[in-house]
Amino acid sequence: MSPSRYSIVVEGELGPRYASAFDGMTLRAHDGETEIIGPIIDPSHLQGLLGRIAGLGLTLHSLTPLETENAEPDPQPRTPSAGVTEQNPGTTPEGIVNP
Amino acid sequence: MTRVSSQTAQTAGLALGVIEPKLLLPRVQPGMLRRSGLLEMIDDDGGVALTVVNAPVGYGKTTLLRSWCAERPEAVVWMTLDAADDDPVRLWMHLATAVERLGQGLGGPALVRLGVRGAGIEAAVDEVMNGLVGYGRPATIVLDDLHAVGSERSLRSIEHAIERLPANARLLASTRSDPAISVARLRARGGLTEIRARELAFTVDEARELIAREGIALSDESVELLVERTEGWPAGLYLAALWLRDLEGPDEGVRAFVGSTRHVADYLTAEVLTALAPDARDFLQRTSVLDRFTPELCDAVLGREDSAAVLAELARSNMFLVALDAREQWYRYHHLFGELLQLELGREDALALRRRAAAWCRAQGLVEDAIEYAAAAGDAGTVAEVLVEHDRELAWGGRLTQFLGWVRWLPSELLLEHPSLPAGGAVAASLLARPEVEVERLLAVAERARRERPELWSPYVEAIVEVTRSNVIERGDVGAAVEHGRRAVAAARAGADVLSVGVLAALSQALFFAGELEETRRIAVQAVERPDAPDVPDGYVGSLGLLALVDAEQGRAESAEAWAHQAISFARTRFQADSWTVSLAHLGLALACTAVGRLDEAELEALRGERLRRSPQPTVGHAHALLVLAHVRVARSRLEPAASDLKRARRMIAGFPDPGRLPVIAASVEQDLTAVRANAGHRPIVEAPSAAELAVLRGLAAGLSRREIGAQLYISLNTVKTHIRELYRKLDVTSRADAVARGDALGLLDPTQSPG
Repeated sequence: MSPSRYSIVVEGELGPRYASAFDGMTLRAHDGETEIIGPIIDPSHLQGLLGRIAGLGLTLHSLTPLETENAEPDPQPRTPSAGVTEQNPGTTPEGIVNP
Repeated sequence: MTRVSSQTAQTAGLALGVIEPKLLLPRVQPGMLRRSGLLEMIDDDGGVALTVVNAPVGYGKTTLLRSWCAERPEAVVWMTLDAADDDPVRLWMHLATAVERLGQGLGGPALVRLGVRGAGIEAAVDEVMNGLVGYGRPATIVLDDLHAVGSERSLRSIEHAIERLPANARLLASTRSDPAISVARLRARGGLTEIRARELAFTVDEARELIAREGIALSDESVELLVERTEGWPAGLYLAALWLRDLEGPDEGVRAFVGSTRHVADYLTAEVLTALAPDARDFLQRTSVLDRFTPELCDAVLGREDSAAVLAELARSNMFLVALDAREQWYRYHHLFGELLQLELGREDALALRRRAAAWCRAQGLVEDAIEYAAAAGDAGTVAEVLVEHDRELAWGGRLTQFLGWVRWLPSELLLEHPSLPAGGAVAASLLARPEVEVERLLAVAERARRERPELWSPYVEAIVEVTRSNVIERGDVGAAVEHGRRAVAAARAGADVLSVGVLAALSQALFFAGELEETRRIAVQAVERPDAPDVPDGYVGSLGLLALVDAEQGRAESAEAWAHQAISFARTRFQADSWTVSLAHLGLALACTAVGRLDEAELEALRGERLRRSPQPTVGHAHALLVLAHVRVARSRLEPAASDLKRARRMIAGFPDPGRLPVIAASVEQDLTAVRANAGHRPIVEAPSAAELAVLRGLAAGLSRREIGAQLYISLNTVKTHIRELYRKLDVTSRADAVARGDALGLLDPTQSPG
């Protein structure tokens, strides 16, 4: 899966402090919702984001892939684990929490 | 052995022990509401084996389970799961420890199994269930945060536990999402209770009770608005209570909150945190990076000395904090608040705090926590250092999935500096039956280190790399296995004595398949005579089995039997009776029994040995087991099954690059088969006997009279006589003895061959 941009909409308007939870993505709050937009590099990245949304007690309203033409690769590996080549998604690195 | 085998008593599994706070029952918090209706839903236990509380974060799942346990007399095995429980050995090591605490000896057998590398998880789960049966009284097992587990192997092991759960035990689980385990069968027979968000949401009455209990003067209308705005989300209501408790005009506060479009938790957390004293707020935010903590850990991370007092005060005054034990030693934050608190913390701050946590845990000998914090801080150097400090315990302990995960996480520059890590990782990957390429990649990193950093190379690393390389025997390269096995033994002699039993066992097996029987015997004797041999169960059992095989082949049946029995009974004491390493002993026993004419026993043993060697891919060990089985069956004149075993073995051998002496053994079995066929006057059968005739034939073979056969089959004597006449004609024989002999040679006496 090549990097794509996604729009993730959650319930409620989130304050700017949530930006740190969605590193590298843009948050736009309006009309009782918050839209989180940014590049998603692979399925594990997406799963991680969805886990984070659940962990913060947020309710998912929608998840939409945007046009890939606008895709820009993530400049930095996001987590220490991003450098590992995954054989089997979800098995490594065991129990290492994202900073 | 085909799989590297070594483990030492001094080092086995010490580095990764039980993480105590995972087994602690969180304290019942004083301010929490009693959810009578929900407690009754769980109580309604007419045969309910599994109760799943399934809702998003902040719905009070843990609190509900905890308060249910507090009101029941049964013993409770509580375990809080986390992502590292994707290693099923870690998961069951904790559960077995908790069951052991119900009564001495109840969890012990499972722990013994889990301490041995490569042991089957399901067998360990069965032992835990046996422990619960042994406990005898009702017991409740709680798996809190089941959603944290995602690996296939851990989920299957939990599924297996649910299937085997004894009648005196019930399982309660909390999860944020539907667990990926099959509960359809339980649900169909009413063995499953599910409590979901709809049931967990607060009603207006419950919210009113909560508000009143906190001494907040709020109008009924405001309470209703509050429930509507939070949709009854318990976390939102508790936060609201915390906030309104200290507010001058609570009704106005509620109106402002209801009028806002901000996210519930965002709005309320901001309000609650603003109201806190700056010091308390700072304390909460900075310690929120810790998964679980003691006052000492907080002191170390924050550079203060009064954490115990701060924590005790926070635990009394708000619901952020969960005390995990009555002695106020361990705490954790409520998951949601932990996440929300971390939002306030800058990334750099968070990393620095985690680094300090790693340093403290390392100094305390909390190896696993130290590695996890360092990894979360992105501090690969510390992760590598801690792993190297414990490399032997980790690579030879039971928790290989976890170890391999850490090794794979490290960048290759660091692996090159610490060659014992890629080498140990390769062993782990090979034992976990990971894809070949993964083993190869780690071995390649280790070998690159040998070239580029020769000063860091050691006999220990050399022995591991070579013995892992000798695993090519699994793919049918016997010559290469011997060569690598010799190098491994040389390296162990040069300075890695601790690996001796394992590498000697591996070499001796390779030599056996290469046909060097004298040397096989010499090396296996060296392995079993070492005082530390019993500490390496697979190497020890395998070497004993090889001695049995060699002695049987060389005509020393009595001595072969003795070796085999020693191996089998030792394996039993170590709960290894179902391990493939015992297979060699069963095969040796089969050959010895054949030699002295105990043919029934021989076939039984050969079948046992063959069964233990089955694997999805063809292996040298399995092909050999099939040949032994064929040999025994030829001796019993069971020619058809023997021919089919031989054919299967031949098919495997044809695919091996270097099958060693297997073709020679196959040829000799073939020769015997042909000879017996000729002697038996083996002729193809023209017309197959009917099912009824076969039943009569089995009666004849059992030595029954014609009258007895008739009585057993509910047929008349005349009918029996007719069947016998037809049998003689079809088998082309004239006597009862010949009919039985020919029937046996054709495999007609084998119950599996019969149509019924």
